[in-house]
Amino acid sequence: MRKFNAMEKQTISSFASGLSAAILLIALISLVFFIVLKGSAYFWPSQVFKVTTYDKASNEVSVFVPSSVDIDEFTAALTNKLNEQFASSKQPIPLIAVEKVDAIYQINLHSGAIQHGNFQQINTPNSEIYQLAELNDVVASVAVFQRELREIQTTYLTVLHRKIAQLNQSGVSEKAPARLKELEQFTYWQQKADALSKKIAAYRLIFIDASGQPIDILVKDINHLFQPNMMSLFDKVSYSGNKIIEFISESPKQASTSGGVFPALFGTVLMVLLMAVIVAPFGAMAAIYLHEYAPNNMTTSVIRICVSNMAGVPSVVYGVFGLGFFVYTLGGSIDSLFYSDSLPSPTFGSPGLFWAALTMALLTLPVVIVSTEEGLRRVPEGLRAGSYALGATKMETIWKTVLPVASPGIMTGVILAIARAAGEVAPLILVGAVKFAPSLPVDGEFPFLHLERQFMHLGVFIYDGAFHNQTNTQGSSMMFASCMLLLLIVFILNLFAIIVRNRLRDRYVRI
Amino acid sequence: MLKLFETETLALDKLTDEQTAIKVKDFSVWLNNSLVLNKINMRIPKNKITAMIGQSGCGKSTLLSSFNRMNELNQKYAFSGEVQIDGRDIYNTKENVAKLRTGVGMVFQRPNPFPMSIYENVCFGLRIQGKTERRMLDDIVETSLRNAALWDEVKGRLFDSALLLSGGQQQRLVIARALALKPEILLLDEPTSALDPLTTLHIEELINQLKKTTTVVIVTHNMQQAARVSDYSVFLHQGELIEYSDSDSLFTMPAKKQTEDYITGRYG
Repeated sequence: MRKFNAMEKQTISSFASGLSAAILLIALISLVFFIVLKGSAYFWPSQVFKVTTYDKASNEVSVFVPSSVDIDEFTAALTNKLNEQFASSKQPIPLIAVEKVDAIYQINLHSGAIQHGNFQQINTPNSEIYQLAELNDVVASVAVFQRELREIQTTYLTVLHRKIAQLNQSGVSEKAPARLKELEQFTYWQQKADALSKKIAAYRLIFIDASGQPIDILVKDINHLFQPNMMSLFDKVSYSGNKIIEFISESPKQASTSGGVFPALFGTVLMVLLMAVIVAPFGAMAAIYLHEYAPNNMTTSVIRICVSNMAGVPSVVYGVFGLGFFVYTLGGSIDSLFYSDSLPSPTFGSPGLFWAALTMALLTLPVVIVSTEEGLRRVPEGLRAGSYALGATKMETIWKTVLPVASPGIMTGVILAIARAAGEVAPLILVGAVKFAPSLPVDGEFPFLHLERQFMHLGVFIYDGAFHNQTNTQGSSMMFASCMLLLLIVFILNLFAIIVRNRLRDRYVRI
Repeated sequence: MLKLFETETLALDKLTDEQTAIKVKDFSVWLNNSLVLNKINMRIPKNKITAMIGQSGCGKSTLLSSFNRMNELNQKYAFSGEVQIDGRDIYNTKENVAKLRTGVGMVFQRPNPFPMSIYENVCFGLRIQGKTERRMLDDIVETSLRNAALWDEVKGRLFDSALLLSGGQQQRLVIARALALKPEILLLDEPTSALDPLTTLHIEELINQLKKTTTVVIVTHNMQQAARVSDYSVFLHQGELIEYSDSDSLFTMPAKKQTEDYITGRYG
């Protein structure tokens, strides 16, 4: 091999480093691009194709298939798939025909399910309507009935039910006139409610699916009805806008394949904030001790090394520790001390928000300690001396001059901690994050913030989605949309922390 | 050499206790186990300016910071002997060091304003003493800034960050900060070495004003400066006090050969 001269070596090394940087940049951009592309498909309305399959006997089977690509690409992909499927079998490849049916309707139900079909008729208790334009009136009258029903339920039925239950509890005899009166009333309203429900259930929408079978849909279940193949760009954009709002404000539906991710979003942000509140003072105080008070000897060095090593401990180990120590030991003790009434069902002795925040705080503590110490190291000696020379004690010096100047360092630590905690999954599964939580950790009930509740977390949500929705296009695009949101949240939290840090820096460190 | 203010000269060896601000008795200091000051004996006269000169590493800064126990911030520090202020050994075990430092102010080589407003910088020491009454603070801030010849330049922007001031202004601010505590003694550790000649002159004038009420001890590398501003000068060499007398005689007819060599520039 020939030797390179100095000039060539220079060129090669600069080329190699430039290449690495370029590859890194490409990897980053393609990651973001891929996630955004896949994720935004969840919001953009799909077109609907009618796919008809012919078997040997020319029997045809048709289905409506939503797709985010155009008709040619869709057909090609479908043909490829069929060729692959039938390549090894002896059966002939079935013929298919794909067509775009313009007038087709898509019905999004409140439950999150989606139906496709051609309109046939609207059934009401009295008549059958064949104009879809009248649907709005029908929906309006159903809404009126529903409101009535809800009113009966809340103002009469629940109240009466409670009264009767009270009477039962206080041992009033079954035949007592007061009790009979209540019961009579209850039956009256109950009958009225039943009649209303029946009436509401009589309003139905009949669609015809691809194979000619009727689809029967209750009017009250309809969330949104539109013609996906006839949407203008404006319609599509406004549809996407609504979908985005729905995505960040509603709960998941249909086993986390549609609907929104609000509980997961809320849980992530709440957990991260709680963690930051715990980790920032602890980390800062530990760093202050190490840097300002601890003598410069072997023990301190060993502690420093331990702190750095803690940052490298696999996160699942923290999860196991959190489960074993925080949840079972600490939580168990809290339960037996303060919640002994409700035992054996645990209150704090089961995984929950607080334990998750505490575990994540422990996990990110080394990061905060290291960067705070870095910040303390950057405080000029002159500043400390100046403070001492004016008669300040050590504590006053640290509080009034050292800490403000070191605060950007603390913020840097908190930024790193936040980014790490928002994206962590493994420890959270063990100490409190679940794939579906029935209630948010914050509500109107005292004490408003329920630290013992389990919560949802975007990372865990994505992890779960990735496992269970590999075959379901709709579900997997929701998973990508959640990824996109997680990226966005980490980005926003970081941005916020960086702005705060730069403000502090502007204020204190222009020396 | 120009003297801005002519004052009567006291005989250093016949100073009474009333005329003495700081009395140093057999004072030795070890830093990192090596002897830095060796049995220094001197009396620093009240309301005069005393300059300390000598080579780098001769111990003059160490001696200066011994007067308000700033030395102790070094980790490996040991001493023997006494430093008396107001007839009290400041190294006694019951001494309140924080309180001592409010009476013995110190200004460092590099200006070190705190990252706060000009106003808060001057108030820093007062606030630490728990003084919060607004009108009193306002008064002291104004007087201190006036005494430090900075008032006219900053009176319109007292609540701007002190870090926005120029180097000379910052140094005067730091002096004002020390003056706000009305110290009896002010220690200046090469206060002008980081400043330009004009600002240096400003600060020298200021030092001369201060001696009406304050005892000033100044460490300097600049021989002209020492001769210009000080009433008395002490020459230290390798931890020993070589010569101590009034500045006129020390700079015009030094008694020791070493002193003469140093002030005429024959030392390294």
